[in-house]
Amino acid sequence: MSATATVPATRAAARPSGAARVTFGRLLRSEWIKLWSLRSTWWVLPITVVAQAGIAWLIAYFGTQEFGEGGIDYTITAADIVGGLQFAQLAICVLAVLAITGEYSTGMIRSTLSTSPTRTPALLAKGLVVVAVAFATGVVATLVSWAVTYPVLGEAHRVDLGLEMNQRILLGAPLYLAAIALLAYAIGALLRHSAGALATVLGLLLVVESVFALIPWTFFEKISPYLPMSAGSQLVFTDNPDAVLGPWEGYGVLVAWGVVLLAAAAVLLRRRDA
Amino acid sequence: MIEARGLTKKYGQKTAVAGIDFTVQPGKVTGFLGPNGAGKSTTMRMIMGLDRPTSGTVTVNGRPYAQLKSPLTEVGALLDAKAVHSGRSATNHLRAVAATHGIGRKRVDEVIEMTGLQAVAGKRVGGFSLGMGQRLGIAAALLGDPRTLILDEPVNGLDPEGVLWVRNLVKHLASEGRTIFLSSHLMSEMALTADHILVIGRGRIIADAPVADIVAGASGTRVRVRSPQAARLAELLQGPDTTVTSVEAGLIEVTGATAEAVGELAARDGVVLHELTPVAASLEAAYMSLTADDVEYHSAPTGAGTTVQPGQAPAIPQEARR
Repeated sequence: MSATATVPATRAAARPSGAARVTFGRLLRSEWIKLWSLRSTWWVLPITVVAQAGIAWLIAYFGTQEFGEGGIDYTITAADIVGGLQFAQLAICVLAVLAITGEYSTGMIRSTLSTSPTRTPALLAKGLVVVAVAFATGVVATLVSWAVTYPVLGEAHRVDLGLEMNQRILLGAPLYLAAIALLAYAIGALLRHSAGALATVLGLLLVVESVFALIPWTFFEKISPYLPMSAGSQLVFTDNPDAVLGPWEGYGVLVAWGVVLLAAAAVLLRRRDA
Repeated sequence: MIEARGLTKKYGQKTAVAGIDFTVQPGKVTGFLGPNGAGKSTTMRMIMGLDRPTSGTVTVNGRPYAQLKSPLTEVGALLDAKAVHSGRSATNHLRAVAATHGIGRKRVDEVIEMTGLQAVAGKRVGGFSLGMGQRLGIAAALLGDPRTLILDEPVNGLDPEGVLWVRNLVKHLASEGRTIFLSSHLMSEMALTADHILVIGRGRIIADAPVADIVAGASGTRVRVRSPQAARLAELLQGPDTTVTSVEAGLIEVTGATAEAVGELAARDGVVLHELTPVAASLEAAYMSLTADDVEYHSAPTGAGTTVQPGQAPAIPQEARR
Protein backbone atom coordinates (compact mmCIF):
# COMPACT_ATOMS: atom_id res chain seq x y z
CA MET A 1 0.00 0.00 0.00
CA SER A 2 2.68 2.47 -0.88
CA ALA A 3 0.56 4.00 -3.59
CA THR A 4 -0.46 7.38 -2.34
CA ALA A 5 -3.84 8.86 -2.95
CA THR A 6 -3.90 11.58 -0.36
CA VAL A 7 -5.75 13.97 -2.59
CA PRO A 8 -9.44 13.14 -2.53
CA ALA A 9 -10.13 12.73 -6.19
CA THR A 10 -13.88 12.67 -6.41
CA ARG A 11 -15.03 14.97 -9.09
CA ALA A 12 -18.54 16.21 -8.92
CA ALA A 13 -18.25 16.92 -12.64
CA ALA A 14 -17.53 13.28 -13.34
CA ARG A 15 -20.68 12.16 -11.58
CA PRO A 16 -22.31 9.47 -13.64
CA SER A 17 -25.28 10.93 -15.44
CA GLY A 18 -28.81 10.62 -14.15
CA ALA A 19 -29.07 7.51 -16.31
CA ALA A 20 -27.24 5.54 -13.63
CA ARG A 21 -30.19 3.63 -12.30
CA VAL A 22 -30.89 -0.02 -11.69
CA THR A 23 -32.63 -1.89 -14.48
CA PHE A 24 -33.22 -5.61 -14.89
CA GLY A 25 -30.95 -5.69 -17.92
CA ARG A 26 -28.14 -4.19 -15.89
CA LEU A 27 -28.69 -6.70 -13.11
CA LEU A 28 -28.38 -9.46 -15.72
CA ARG A 29 -25.11 -7.91 -16.92
CA SER A 30 -23.83 -7.76 -13.34
CA GLU A 31 -24.74 -11.38 -12.65
CA TRP A 32 -23.10 -12.38 -15.93
CA ILE A 33 -19.84 -10.69 -14.83
CA LYS A 34 -20.12 -12.31 -11.40
CA LEU A 35 -20.56 -15.80 -12.84
CA TRP A 36 -17.64 -15.63 -15.25
CA SER A 37 -15.27 -13.92 -12.80
CA LEU A 38 -15.18 -16.96 -10.53
CA ARG A 39 -12.74 -19.76 -11.23
CA SER A 40 -15.24 -22.44 -10.25
CA THR A 41 -17.36 -21.61 -13.30
CA TRP A 42 -14.40 -22.21 -15.60
CA TRP A 43 -13.91 -25.59 -13.97
CA VAL A 44 -17.44 -26.81 -13.61
CA LEU A 45 -18.74 -26.11 -17.10
CA PRO A 46 -15.96 -27.91 -19.03
CA ILE A 47 -16.25 -30.80 -16.57
CA THR A 48 -19.97 -30.97 -17.33
CA VAL A 49 -19.34 -31.13 -21.07
CA VAL A 50 -16.45 -33.59 -20.83
CA ALA A 51 -18.32 -35.86 -18.45
CA GLN A 52 -21.49 -35.95 -20.50
CA ALA A 53 -19.67 -36.52 -23.78
CA GLY A 54 -17.25 -39.00 -22.22
CA ILE A 55 -20.03 -41.14 -20.83
CA ALA A 56 -21.84 -40.97 -24.18
CA TRP A 57 -18.69 -42.23 -25.92
CA LEU A 58 -18.29 -45.08 -23.42
CA ILE A 59 -21.92 -46.13 -23.90
CA ALA A 60 -21.58 -46.02 -27.68
CA TYR A 61 -18.18 -47.72 -27.84
CA PHE A 62 -18.90 -50.63 -25.54
CA GLY A 63 -22.50 -50.85 -26.70
CA THR A 64 -21.53 -51.41 -30.35
CA GLN A 65 -18.90 -54.01 -29.34
CA GLU A 66 -21.50 -55.96 -27.41
CA PHE A 67 -23.85 -55.91 -30.37
CA GLY A 68 -21.10 -57.12 -32.65
CA GLU A 69 -20.35 -60.15 -30.49
CA GLY A 70 -23.68 -61.27 -29.18
CA GLY A 71 -25.78 -60.26 -32.12
CA ILE A 72 -28.24 -58.64 -29.69
CA ASP A 73 -31.08 -56.84 -31.36
CA TYR A 74 -30.81 -53.28 -30.05
CA THR A 75 -31.38 -49.91 -31.56
CA ILE A 76 -29.20 -47.06 -30.34
CA THR A 77 -31.38 -44.03 -29.50
CA ALA A 78 -30.71 -40.46 -28.55
CA ALA A 79 -31.22 -41.53 -24.92
CA ASP A 80 -27.89 -43.33 -25.16
CA ILE A 81 -26.24 -40.24 -26.63
CA VAL A 82 -27.34 -38.15 -23.64
CA GLY A 83 -26.71 -40.90 -21.09
CA GLY A 84 -24.04 -38.68 -19.51
CA LEU A 85 -26.76 -36.33 -18.25
CA GLN A 86 -26.89 -38.31 -15.02
CA PHE A 87 -23.43 -37.00 -14.22
CA ALA A 88 -23.66 -33.61 -15.95
CA GLN A 89 -26.67 -32.65 -13.83
CA LEU A 90 -24.63 -33.05 -10.63
CA ALA A 91 -21.96 -30.62 -11.86
CA ILE A 92 -24.63 -28.15 -12.95
CA CYS A 93 -26.35 -28.45 -9.55
CA VAL A 94 -23.11 -27.59 -7.77
CA LEU A 95 -22.67 -24.52 -9.99
CA ALA A 96 -26.26 -23.39 -9.46
CA VAL A 97 -26.21 -23.87 -5.69
CA LEU A 98 -22.86 -22.14 -5.21
CA ALA A 99 -23.91 -19.21 -7.42
CA ILE A 100 -26.24 -18.10 -4.63
CA THR A 101 -24.89 -19.70 -1.43
CA GLY A 102 -21.39 -18.42 -2.24
CA GLU A 103 -22.77 -14.90 -1.89
CA TYR A 104 -24.08 -15.67 1.58
CA SER A 105 -20.94 -17.41 2.80
CA THR A 106 -18.66 -14.58 1.63
CA GLY A 107 -20.91 -11.64 2.55
CA MET A 108 -21.21 -10.61 -1.12
CA ILE A 109 -24.99 -10.80 -0.72
CA ARG A 110 -24.88 -7.51 1.22
CA SER A 111 -23.29 -5.79 -1.79
CA THR A 112 -25.81 -7.43 -4.09
CA LEU A 113 -28.83 -6.40 -2.03
CA SER A 114 -27.47 -2.88 -1.51
CA THR A 115 -27.33 -2.38 -5.26
CA SER A 116 -30.73 -3.98 -5.78
CA PRO A 117 -32.72 -3.10 -2.69
CA THR A 118 -36.03 -4.50 -3.94
CA ARG A 119 -34.22 -7.87 -3.87
CA THR A 120 -36.52 -9.98 -6.07
CA PRO A 121 -35.04 -8.66 -9.36
CA ALA A 122 -31.54 -9.60 -8.18
CA LEU A 123 -32.70 -13.12 -7.34
CA LEU A 124 -34.41 -13.49 -10.72
CA ALA A 125 -31.49 -12.01 -12.67
CA LYS A 126 -29.03 -14.43 -11.13
CA GLY A 127 -31.45 -17.30 -11.62
CA LEU A 128 -31.94 -16.41 -15.28
CA VAL A 129 -28.18 -16.27 -15.89
CA VAL A 130 -27.66 -19.62 -14.15
CA VAL A 131 -30.49 -21.29 -16.08
CA ALA A 132 -29.35 -19.82 -19.41
CA VAL A 133 -25.76 -20.94 -18.84
CA ALA A 134 -26.96 -24.41 -17.83
CA PHE A 135 -29.01 -24.60 -21.04
CA ALA A 136 -26.12 -23.42 -23.20
CA THR A 137 -23.80 -25.91 -21.51
CA GLY A 138 -26.38 -28.60 -22.19
CA VAL A 139 -26.48 -27.64 -25.87
CA VAL A 140 -22.69 -27.81 -26.14
CA ALA A 141 -22.52 -31.06 -24.17
CA THR A 142 -25.17 -32.68 -26.35
CA LEU A 143 -23.51 -31.53 -29.58
CA VAL A 144 -20.13 -32.81 -28.38
CA SER A 145 -21.75 -36.08 -27.29
CA TRP A 146 -23.25 -36.43 -30.75
CA ALA A 147 -19.92 -35.65 -32.40
CA VAL A 148 -17.82 -38.11 -30.38
CA THR A 149 -20.30 -40.96 -30.76
CA TYR A 150 -20.88 -40.41 -34.48
CA PRO A 151 -17.73 -42.22 -35.73
CA VAL A 152 -18.09 -44.95 -33.09
CA LEU A 153 -21.64 -45.82 -34.03
CA GLY A 154 -20.98 -45.96 -37.73
CA GLU A 155 -23.63 -46.63 -40.35
CA ALA A 156 -24.94 -49.70 -38.59
CA HIS A 157 -26.10 -48.03 -35.39
CA ARG A 158 -26.80 -44.52 -36.62
CA VAL A 159 -29.36 -42.70 -34.46
CA ASP A 160 -32.42 -41.93 -36.54
CA LEU A 161 -32.86 -38.18 -36.33
CA GLY A 162 -36.08 -38.45 -38.26
CA LEU A 163 -37.74 -40.05 -35.25
CA GLU A 164 -39.73 -37.61 -33.19
CA MET A 165 -38.55 -39.38 -30.02
CA ASN A 166 -34.88 -38.82 -30.81
CA GLN A 167 -35.49 -35.16 -31.63
CA ARG A 168 -37.35 -34.75 -28.34
CA ILE A 169 -34.51 -36.33 -26.35
CA LEU A 170 -31.73 -34.29 -27.97
CA LEU A 171 -33.62 -31.04 -27.44
CA GLY A 172 -34.70 -32.26 -24.03
CA ALA A 173 -31.18 -32.77 -22.66
CA PRO A 174 -30.30 -29.04 -22.46
CA LEU A 175 -33.83 -28.26 -21.29
CA TYR A 176 -33.49 -30.84 -18.53
CA LEU A 177 -30.17 -29.34 -17.38
CA ALA A 178 -31.72 -25.86 -17.36
CA ALA A 179 -34.66 -27.02 -15.23
CA ILE A 180 -32.51 -28.98 -12.81
CA ALA A 181 -30.29 -25.87 -12.46
CA LEU A 182 -33.39 -23.84 -11.60
CA LEU A 183 -34.33 -26.37 -8.91
CA ALA A 184 -30.82 -26.39 -7.42
CA TYR A 185 -30.60 -22.59 -7.52
CA ALA A 186 -33.96 -22.26 -5.76
CA ILE A 187 -32.92 -24.67 -3.02
CA GLY A 188 -29.66 -22.74 -2.62
CA ALA A 189 -31.59 -19.47 -2.30
CA LEU A 190 -33.91 -21.01 0.29
CA LEU A 191 -31.25 -22.60 2.48
CA ARG A 192 -28.44 -20.02 1.98
CA HIS A 193 -25.73 -22.39 3.25
CA SER A 194 -23.48 -24.10 0.71
CA ALA A 195 -23.08 -27.40 2.52
CA GLY A 196 -26.71 -27.67 3.54
CA ALA A 197 -28.03 -26.79 0.10
CA LEU A 198 -25.63 -29.11 -1.74
CA ALA A 199 -26.47 -31.97 0.60
CA THR A 200 -30.17 -31.31 0.09
CA VAL A 201 -30.02 -31.14 -3.70
CA LEU A 202 -27.71 -34.12 -4.18
CA GLY A 203 -29.49 -36.07 -1.47
CA LEU A 204 -32.82 -35.42 -3.14
CA LEU A 205 -31.62 -36.43 -6.61
CA LEU A 206 -29.36 -39.32 -5.68
CA VAL A 207 -30.87 -40.80 -2.54
CA VAL A 208 -34.44 -39.76 -1.83
CA GLU A 209 -35.77 -40.40 -5.32
CA SER A 210 -34.29 -43.88 -5.60
CA VAL A 211 -35.37 -44.81 -2.07
CA PHE A 212 -38.92 -43.63 -2.77
CA ALA A 213 -38.97 -45.66 -5.95
CA LEU A 214 -37.76 -48.76 -4.09
CA ILE A 215 -40.16 -48.81 -1.18
CA PRO A 216 -43.14 -50.94 -2.22
CA TRP A 217 -45.72 -48.93 -0.33
CA THR A 218 -48.56 -47.42 -2.34
CA PHE A 219 -47.97 -43.96 -0.92
CA PHE A 220 -44.36 -43.88 -2.14
CA GLU A 221 -45.28 -45.49 -5.42
CA LYS A 222 -47.87 -42.79 -6.05
CA ILE A 223 -45.51 -39.95 -5.07
CA SER A 224 -42.36 -41.24 -6.71
CA PRO A 225 -43.09 -40.29 -10.35
CA TYR A 226 -43.74 -36.70 -9.30
CA LEU A 227 -40.36 -36.16 -7.64
CA PRO A 228 -38.22 -33.69 -9.62
CA MET A 229 -35.67 -35.94 -11.29
CA SER A 230 -38.02 -38.87 -11.84
CA ALA A 231 -40.54 -36.56 -13.48
CA GLY A 232 -38.14 -34.39 -15.48
CA SER A 233 -35.99 -37.21 -16.81
CA GLN A 234 -38.99 -38.60 -18.70
CA LEU A 235 -38.07 -35.96 -21.27
CA VAL A 236 -34.76 -37.67 -22.05
CA PHE A 237 -36.00 -41.26 -21.80
CA THR A 238 -37.23 -43.39 -24.69
CA ASP A 239 -40.97 -43.66 -25.19
CA ASN A 240 -42.57 -45.59 -22.34
CA PRO A 241 -46.33 -46.18 -22.55
CA ASP A 242 -46.37 -47.41 -18.92
CA ALA A 243 -44.93 -44.20 -17.45
CA VAL A 244 -47.26 -42.27 -15.16
CA LEU A 245 -46.17 -38.99 -16.74
CA GLY A 246 -45.46 -38.35 -20.39
CA PRO A 247 -42.17 -36.67 -21.41
CA TRP A 248 -43.47 -33.11 -21.48
CA GLU A 249 -45.82 -33.64 -18.51
CA GLY A 250 -42.88 -34.89 -16.49
CA TYR A 251 -40.77 -31.97 -17.58
CA GLY A 252 -43.57 -29.61 -16.61
CA VAL A 253 -43.58 -31.16 -13.12
CA LEU A 254 -39.81 -30.58 -12.78
CA VAL A 255 -40.14 -26.95 -13.89
CA ALA A 256 -43.03 -26.50 -11.46
CA TRP A 257 -40.84 -27.75 -8.61
CA GLY A 258 -38.22 -25.13 -9.51
CA VAL A 259 -40.70 -22.29 -9.95
CA VAL A 260 -42.55 -22.98 -6.69
CA LEU A 261 -39.33 -23.26 -4.69
CA LEU A 262 -37.93 -20.08 -6.29
CA ALA A 263 -41.15 -18.24 -5.46
CA ALA A 264 -40.79 -19.39 -1.84
CA ALA A 265 -37.17 -18.22 -1.90
CA ALA A 266 -38.26 -14.81 -3.25
CA VAL A 267 -40.82 -14.39 -0.46
CA LEU A 268 -38.26 -15.32 2.19
CA LEU A 269 -35.60 -13.11 0.61
CA ARG A 270 -37.82 -10.07 1.04
CA ARG A 271 -38.59 -10.95 4.64
CA ARG A 272 -35.28 -12.10 6.01
CA ASP A 273 -32.46 -9.88 7.21
CA ALA A 274 -29.42 -10.14 4.99
CA MET B 1 -29.58 13.37 4.80
CA ILE B 2 -30.45 10.36 6.91
CA GLU B 3 -33.49 10.47 9.19
CA ALA B 4 -34.46 7.82 11.72
CA ARG B 5 -37.79 7.96 13.54
CA GLY B 6 -38.57 5.54 16.33
CA LEU B 7 -36.16 3.06 14.75
CA THR B 8 -36.29 -0.25 16.62
CA LYS B 9 -34.70 -3.64 16.04
CA LYS B 10 -35.32 -6.64 18.24
CA TYR B 11 -33.72 -10.03 17.87
CA GLY B 12 -36.07 -12.28 19.78
CA GLN B 13 -36.09 -10.99 23.35
CA LYS B 14 -33.03 -8.82 22.90
CA THR B 15 -33.48 -5.22 21.82
CA ALA B 16 -30.54 -4.12 19.70
CA VAL B 17 -31.89 -0.68 18.81
CA ALA B 18 -34.57 0.82 21.03
CA GLY B 19 -36.67 3.39 19.19
CA ILE B 20 -34.01 5.91 18.26
CA ASP B 21 -34.53 9.24 16.52
CA PHE B 22 -31.76 11.11 14.80
CA THR B 23 -30.98 13.17 11.74
CA VAL B 24 -27.67 13.10 9.94
CA GLN B 25 -27.26 16.45 8.20
CA PRO B 26 -25.58 17.02 4.86
CA GLY B 27 -22.44 19.11 4.64
CA LYS B 28 -20.74 17.71 7.68
CA VAL B 29 -19.12 14.60 9.02
CA THR B 30 -21.29 12.90 11.61
CA GLY B 31 -19.57 10.41 13.85
CA PHE B 32 -21.41 7.44 15.29
CA LEU B 33 -19.90 6.30 18.56
CA GLY B 34 -20.81 3.57 20.94
CA PRO B 35 -19.39 0.62 22.82
CA ASN B 36 -19.36 -2.84 21.29
CA GLY B 37 -22.87 -4.19 20.92
CA ALA B 38 -24.47 -0.75 21.31
CA GLY B 39 -26.37 -1.04 18.03
CA LYS B 40 -24.16 0.90 15.59
CA SER B 41 -23.87 -1.76 12.92
CA THR B 42 -27.50 -2.81 13.28
CA THR B 43 -28.55 0.80 12.75
CA MET B 44 -26.34 1.10 9.67
CA ARG B 45 -27.70 -2.14 8.21
CA MET B 46 -31.25 -0.86 8.72
CA ILE B 47 -30.36 2.37 6.92
CA MET B 48 -29.13 0.26 4.00
CA GLY B 49 -32.31 -1.80 3.93
CA LEU B 50 -30.42 -4.98 4.78
CA ASP B 51 -32.12 -5.53 8.12
CA ARG B 52 -35.80 -4.86 8.48
CA PRO B 53 -36.69 -2.59 11.42
CA THR B 54 -39.00 -4.19 14.00
CA SER B 55 -40.73 -0.80 14.07
CA GLY B 56 -40.04 2.78 13.09
CA THR B 57 -38.57 4.13 9.88
CA VAL B 58 -35.30 5.32 8.48
CA THR B 59 -34.98 7.28 5.26
CA VAL B 60 -32.09 8.36 3.09
CA ASN B 61 -32.55 11.59 1.14
CA GLY B 62 -36.21 11.42 2.11
CA ARG B 63 -36.93 7.84 1.05
CA PRO B 64 -36.61 4.38 2.50
CA TYR B 65 -33.54 2.75 0.97
CA ALA B 66 -35.63 0.10 -0.81
CA GLN B 67 -37.42 2.82 -2.79
CA LEU B 68 -34.26 4.39 -4.19
CA LYS B 69 -34.16 4.05 -7.97
CA SER B 70 -30.43 4.51 -8.13
CA PRO B 71 -29.08 3.44 -4.72
CA LEU B 72 -25.39 3.62 -5.67
CA THR B 73 -25.57 7.29 -6.61
CA GLU B 74 -27.65 8.12 -3.52
CA VAL B 75 -25.79 6.14 -0.88
CA GLY B 76 -22.37 4.56 -0.84
CA ALA B 77 -21.70 2.25 2.05
CA LEU B 78 -18.85 0.36 3.58
CA LEU B 79 -20.67 -1.89 6.02
CA ASP B 80 -17.96 -4.38 6.61
CA ALA B 81 -14.93 -5.36 4.60
CA LYS B 82 -16.36 -8.80 3.94
CA ALA B 83 -19.20 -7.84 1.62
CA VAL B 84 -17.14 -9.20 -1.27
CA HIS B 85 -16.83 -12.67 -2.79
CA SER B 86 -13.35 -13.83 -1.84
CA GLY B 87 -12.88 -15.68 -5.13
CA ARG B 88 -13.24 -12.60 -7.31
CA SER B 89 -10.60 -9.99 -8.13
CA ALA B 90 -11.05 -6.45 -6.87
CA THR B 91 -11.58 -5.16 -10.40
CA ASN B 92 -14.20 -7.78 -11.22
CA HIS B 93 -16.00 -7.13 -7.94
CA LEU B 94 -16.20 -3.43 -8.75
CA ARG B 95 -17.20 -4.15 -12.37
CA ALA B 96 -20.05 -6.35 -11.18
CA VAL B 97 -21.28 -3.77 -8.67
CA ALA B 98 -20.94 -0.94 -11.21
CA ALA B 99 -22.78 -2.91 -13.88
CA THR B 100 -26.00 -2.88 -11.84
CA HIS B 101 -26.19 0.88 -12.41
CA GLY B 102 -24.69 0.99 -15.89
CA ILE B 103 -21.55 2.59 -14.49
CA GLY B 104 -18.68 2.02 -16.89
CA ARG B 105 -15.17 0.66 -16.67
CA LYS B 106 -13.72 4.19 -16.58
CA ARG B 107 -15.26 4.93 -13.20
CA VAL B 108 -14.13 1.52 -11.89
CA ASP B 109 -10.54 2.38 -12.81
CA GLU B 110 -10.99 5.80 -11.21
CA VAL B 111 -12.04 4.45 -7.82
CA ILE B 112 -9.27 1.84 -7.94
CA GLU B 113 -6.79 4.66 -8.45
CA MET B 114 -8.39 6.84 -5.77
CA THR B 115 -8.13 4.09 -3.19
CA GLY B 116 -4.61 3.12 -4.18
CA LEU B 117 -5.54 -0.43 -5.19
CA GLN B 118 -3.86 -0.46 -8.64
CA ALA B 119 -1.19 -2.94 -7.59
CA VAL B 120 -3.64 -5.54 -6.30
CA ALA B 121 -6.69 -4.85 -8.47
CA GLY B 122 -6.25 -8.06 -10.46
CA LYS B 123 -5.70 -10.26 -7.42
CA ARG B 124 -8.37 -12.31 -5.73
CA VAL B 125 -9.92 -10.58 -2.74
CA GLY B 126 -9.49 -13.65 -0.55
CA GLY B 127 -5.80 -12.83 -0.18
CA PHE B 128 -6.32 -9.20 0.79
CA SER B 129 -5.19 -7.79 4.12
CA LEU B 130 -7.77 -6.08 6.32
CA GLY B 131 -6.53 -2.69 5.13
CA MET B 132 -6.80 -3.58 1.43
CA GLY B 133 -10.27 -4.99 2.06
CA GLN B 134 -11.24 -1.66 3.63
CA ARG B 135 -9.89 0.24 0.63
CA LEU B 136 -11.88 -2.00 -1.70
CA GLY B 137 -15.01 -1.43 0.39
CA ILE B 138 -14.46 2.33 0.20
CA ALA B 139 -13.84 2.07 -3.56
CA ALA B 140 -17.18 0.29 -3.98
CA ALA B 141 -18.90 2.92 -1.84
CA LEU B 142 -17.53 5.69 -4.06
CA LEU B 143 -18.48 4.03 -7.39
CA GLY B 144 -21.71 5.94 -7.81
CA ASP B 145 -20.24 9.23 -6.53
CA PRO B 146 -23.01 9.16 -3.90
CA ARG B 147 -24.65 12.07 -2.09
CA THR B 148 -24.53 10.15 1.16
CA LEU B 149 -21.69 8.03 2.43
CA ILE B 150 -22.03 5.50 5.25
CA LEU B 151 -18.80 4.05 6.56
CA ASP B 152 -18.70 1.48 9.36
CA GLU B 153 -15.27 1.56 10.99
CA PRO B 154 -13.52 2.76 7.82
CA VAL B 155 -10.08 3.17 9.35
CA ASN B 156 -10.05 -0.31 10.86
CA GLY B 157 -6.86 -1.99 9.71
CA LEU B 158 -5.60 0.95 7.68
CA ASP B 159 -2.00 2.14 7.93
CA PRO B 160 -1.40 5.72 9.14
CA GLU B 161 -1.28 6.97 5.56
CA GLY B 162 -4.63 5.29 4.89
CA VAL B 163 -6.14 6.80 8.05
CA LEU B 164 -5.06 10.25 6.95
CA TRP B 165 -6.45 9.60 3.48
CA VAL B 166 -9.86 8.58 4.83
CA ARG B 167 -9.92 11.62 7.12
CA ASN B 168 -9.17 14.01 4.27
CA LEU B 169 -11.54 12.22 1.93
CA VAL B 170 -14.57 12.40 4.20
CA LYS B 171 -13.89 16.02 5.11
CA HIS B 172 -13.58 16.91 1.46
CA LEU B 173 -16.78 15.05 0.56
CA ALA B 174 -18.63 16.76 3.40
CA SER B 175 -17.39 20.14 2.19
CA GLU B 176 -19.04 19.37 -1.15
CA GLY B 177 -22.34 19.24 0.71
CA ARG B 178 -22.61 15.48 0.99
CA THR B 179 -23.87 13.61 4.02
CA ILE B 180 -21.16 11.62 5.76
CA PHE B 181 -22.00 9.15 8.51
CA LEU B 182 -19.16 7.17 9.96
CA SER B 183 -18.69 4.97 12.94
CA SER B 184 -15.47 4.41 14.75
CA HIS B 185 -14.10 3.03 17.98
CA LEU B 186 -11.23 5.45 17.83
CA MET B 187 -12.29 8.49 19.80
CA SER B 188 -9.11 10.36 18.90
CA GLU B 189 -9.82 9.76 15.22
CA MET B 190 -13.38 10.95 15.64
CA ALA B 191 -12.22 14.12 17.39
CA LEU B 192 -10.10 14.94 14.35
CA THR B 193 -12.62 13.97 11.70
CA ALA B 194 -16.17 14.51 12.87
CA ASP B 195 -18.11 17.76 13.17
CA HIS B 196 -21.08 16.22 14.91
CA ILE B 197 -21.35 13.19 17.15
CA LEU B 198 -24.10 10.70 17.83
CA VAL B 199 -23.41 8.51 20.82
CA ILE B 200 -25.37 5.30 21.13
CA GLY B 201 -25.42 3.04 24.17
CA ARG B 202 -27.55 -0.03 24.71
CA GLY B 203 -29.60 0.79 21.66
CA ARG B 204 -30.43 4.34 22.72
CA ILE B 205 -29.07 7.68 21.56
CA ILE B 206 -27.38 9.21 24.60
CA ALA B 207 -25.84 12.23 22.94
CA ASP B 208 -26.45 14.08 19.69
CA ALA B 209 -24.42 17.27 19.49
CA PRO B 210 -21.47 19.04 17.84
CA VAL B 211 -18.09 17.68 18.93
CA ALA B 212 -17.22 20.89 20.76
CA ASP B 213 -20.43 20.77 22.82
CA ILE B 214 -19.85 17.18 23.80
CA VAL B 215 -16.33 17.95 24.96
CA ALA B 216 -17.46 21.06 26.84
CA GLY B 217 -20.34 19.21 28.45
CA ALA B 218 -18.04 16.60 29.89
CA SER B 219 -17.69 16.75 33.67
CA GLY B 220 -16.08 20.24 33.73
CA THR B 221 -12.56 21.37 32.99
CA ARG B 222 -9.73 20.42 35.21
CA VAL B 223 -6.74 22.43 36.33
CA ARG B 224 -3.45 20.72 36.98
CA VAL B 225 -1.36 22.33 39.67
CA ARG B 226 2.20 21.45 40.59
CA SER B 227 3.44 22.94 43.81
CA PRO B 228 5.85 22.03 46.62
CA GLN B 229 3.02 23.09 48.96
CA ALA B 230 0.37 21.10 47.22
CA ALA B 231 -1.18 19.78 50.42
CA ARG B 232 -1.66 23.29 51.78
CA LEU B 233 -3.13 24.50 48.50
CA ALA B 234 -5.50 21.57 48.43
CA GLU B 235 -6.83 22.59 51.84
CA LEU B 236 -7.30 26.18 50.68
CA LEU B 237 -9.13 25.05 47.54
CA GLN B 238 -11.59 22.77 49.32
CA GLY B 239 -15.12 24.01 48.81
CA PRO B 240 -18.59 22.83 47.97
CA ASP B 241 -18.08 23.21 44.20
CA THR B 242 -14.46 22.18 44.01
CA THR B 243 -12.88 18.76 44.11
CA VAL B 244 -9.19 18.28 44.53
CA THR B 245 -7.49 15.03 43.73
CA SER B 246 -3.90 14.28 44.52
CA VAL B 247 -2.18 12.72 41.53
CA GLU B 248 1.26 12.32 43.04
CA ALA B 249 3.39 14.14 45.60
CA GLY B 250 3.33 17.82 44.68
CA LEU B 251 0.78 17.42 41.88
CA ILE B 252 -2.95 17.94 42.26
CA GLU B 253 -5.88 18.24 39.91
CA VAL B 254 -8.69 20.64 40.63
CA THR B 255 -12.17 20.36 39.22
CA GLY B 256 -14.66 23.18 39.63
CA ALA B 257 -12.27 26.12 39.70
CA THR B 258 -10.64 28.03 36.86
CA ALA B 259 -6.89 28.35 36.48
CA GLU B 260 -7.23 32.06 37.24
CA ALA B 261 -9.05 31.39 40.51
CA VAL B 262 -6.45 28.84 41.58
CA GLY B 263 -3.60 31.21 40.67
CA GLU B 264 -5.11 34.14 42.56
CA LEU B 265 -5.77 32.00 45.62
CA ALA B 266 -2.18 30.76 45.59
CA ALA B 267 -0.80 34.30 45.26
CA ARG B 268 -2.95 35.56 48.14
CA ASP B 269 -1.62 32.91 50.46
CA GLY B 270 1.92 32.91 49.17
CA VAL B 271 1.87 29.37 47.82
CA VAL B 272 4.59 28.68 45.28
CA LEU B 273 3.36 27.26 41.99
CA HIS B 274 5.54 25.32 39.56
CA GLU B 275 2.80 24.58 37.09
CA LEU B 276 -0.75 25.75 36.51
CA THR B 277 -2.38 24.13 33.49
CA PRO B 278 -6.02 24.07 32.46
CA VAL B 279 -6.71 20.62 31.00
CA ALA B 280 -9.54 20.46 28.49
CA ALA B 281 -11.60 17.32 28.71
CA SER B 282 -10.89 15.08 25.75
CA LEU B 283 -13.65 13.69 23.58
CA GLU B 284 -12.56 10.36 24.90
CA ALA B 285 -13.19 11.41 28.50
CA ALA B 286 -16.52 12.87 27.49
CA TYR B 287 -17.42 9.67 25.72
CA MET B 288 -16.36 7.56 28.69
CA SER B 289 -18.49 9.53 31.10
CA LEU B 290 -21.46 9.43 28.72
CA THR B 291 -21.35 5.72 28.17
CA ALA B 292 -20.19 4.65 31.62
CA ASP B 293 -23.59 3.19 32.41
CA ASP B 294 -24.25 1.87 28.96
CA VAL B 295 -21.30 -0.35 28.27
CA GLU B 296 -22.48 -3.85 27.61
CA TYR B 297 -19.13 -5.51 28.16
CA HIS B 298 -17.16 -3.96 30.99
CA SER B 299 -13.44 -4.40 31.19
CA ALA B 300 -11.76 -5.16 34.47
CA PRO B 301 -9.53 -2.32 35.71
CA THR B 302 -5.95 -3.19 34.91
CA GLY B 303 -4.48 -1.17 37.78
CA ALA B 304 -5.23 1.70 40.15
CA GLY B 305 -5.65 4.98 38.36
CA THR B 306 -5.57 3.42 34.92
CA THR B 307 -8.23 4.57 32.54
CA VAL B 308 -10.16 1.65 31.22
CA GLN B 309 -10.88 1.89 27.54
CA PRO B 310 -13.56 -0.19 25.96
CA GLY B 311 -12.24 -2.58 23.41
CA GLN B 312 -8.62 -2.28 24.48
CA ALA B 313 -8.51 -4.41 27.59
CA PRO B 314 -9.80 -7.96 27.32
CA ALA B 315 -13.55 -7.81 27.69
CA ILE B 316 -14.87 -9.57 30.75
CA PRO B 317 -18.60 -9.96 31.17
CA GLN B 318 -20.07 -8.06 34.09
CA GLU B 319 -21.01 -11.23 35.90
CA ALA B 320 -17.43 -12.41 35.96
CA ARG B 321 -16.35 -9.41 37.95
CA ARG B 322 -18.60 -10.06 40.89
